[in-house]
Amino acid sequence: MAAGIALAGFVIILAPPVAVRYAEVLNAGVGSIDDDILAVCVAMGAVQMVLAWRRVRDQERIAARRLHVWIASLNALVVLALSASVLLLLVLYWFPDEHASLANRGFPVFVLLAGVQGVAILLAEAAARLCFWWLEPH
Amino acid sequence: MVGMNRREFLAAGVGLVGATATAGTLAGAVWPLLAREDLLPGQAPDVEVRPHAWQTADDRLAFVALGDNGSGGRQALAVTERMAITYQTAPYGLVTLLGDICYYGSLRRRFDTVFRRPLGPLIDAGVGFELAIGNHDAALHFSDRALSAIEAELELLGTPGRYYTTSHGPVDFFFLDSSIPGLYGPRASEQLDWLDDALASSANQWKVVALHHPPYSSGQHGSTPGAQERLVPVLDRHHVDLVLSGHDHDYERIEPQRGVTYVVSGGGCKTTPVGRSAFTAVAERTLQFLHVEVVDDRLTGTCVRVDGSVADRFTLRAREGT
Repeated sequence: MAAGIALAGFVIILAPPVAVRYAEVLNAGVGSIDDDILAVCVAMGAVQMVLAWRRVRDQERIAARRLHVWIASLNALVVLALSASVLLLLVLYWFPDEHASLANRGFPVFVLLAGVQGVAILLAEAAARLCFWWLEPH
Repeated sequence: MVGMNRREFLAAGVGLVGATATAGTLAGAVWPLLAREDLLPGQAPDVEVRPHAWQTADDRLAFVALGDNGSGGRQALAVTERMAITYQTAPYGLVTLLGDICYYGSLRRRFDTVFRRPLGPLIDAGVGFELAIGNHDAALHFSDRALSAIEAELELLGTPGRYYTTSHGPVDFFFLDSSIPGLYGPRASEQLDWLDDALASSANQWKVVALHHPPYSSGQHGSTPGAQERLVPVLDRHHVDLVLSGHDHDYERIEPQRGVTYVVSGGGCKTTPVGRSAFTAVAERTLQFLHVEVVDDRLTGTCVRVDGSVADRFTLRAREGT
């Protein structure tokens, strides 16, 4: 179960860059320049896998019912999916000039993406733990 | 549900509803938007170009037509970098901007991001820029705010007005404001009358009209309603040679219509699908710009993709007695 949920999170983290890459492949000729984005999302996806796997394993050990782990993980995946894509879109839409300025000063775009994905992972972890805590008998 | 307490039922319900809603939102709205828009920043072109390397004479001119380039993102920068590289081997002294030079905010705020930064090497080389206003350059013409945005844009680019004419070597250019009500709405006659007069008094060998909204297009927006009824007869009457437009984010060359060649060159930073119509000569969804070289009685247009390959090349001969 832990591995399955961790893998689902990895796929979710990878979805936004795959969408962007798909666009650039369609646009022809710019396909290779987003390898950095893909690489950083794979790295962040790996971090998410480790965190999710450890969390699910720990929760399975102490859960009053296994169902609580399933429900908490489902909610965490929803939060992860929503925040990984929507946060990225909102940040890109709202601060295009700031990104351009940073990129011009040699600040790589993948740091921005790693930051956004990092926030999404933290939100998902927080949602999972909060939901699990709420479901468990006190 | 059997075997679930109230909290479990509530949390599971939120999770399931959330999963369904999230999947729908992501697949239906967020991912397509991420895939369509050119939002990711990139490096500004670092290309050395020789200032004033072009030759403009009475019988000679080279220029580039660039449309819908206003994102300031990676793809926009890739296109302008290719423009600078092209300048090194085929220099040109003019860029005709076919509108939508600024998405995601006002040009005044984003001028460096969408103009100075992507086009820096060409600006430094002394290349001139002339603009045909696009719909994203001021979303609503009816508001004072939008009109003031247009004024600011014209001022920043040194453009003399919403519609105007310029002359370079053997070519007279006619820049139009094709947004509603600029050219096709209730107050259209003013600009069309001006165009009629300006074309009638044009004495140069070549007449090129630049506007944002295409009279003919097989792209996502398609042919602009009203253009073929109101504008095209004026272009026909005065034997215009070439009509350049953007708006659809693709490249399309139209088979000559009563002697007038129409080109959509709107792949300046993002692309949308383009089909084929009965009037289509060449159509391609690609990031691109159009390089045009006029030598004496011959005009050669080359659609250059972002990787430097050629999507289309066409030649026009000057029409005698026009």
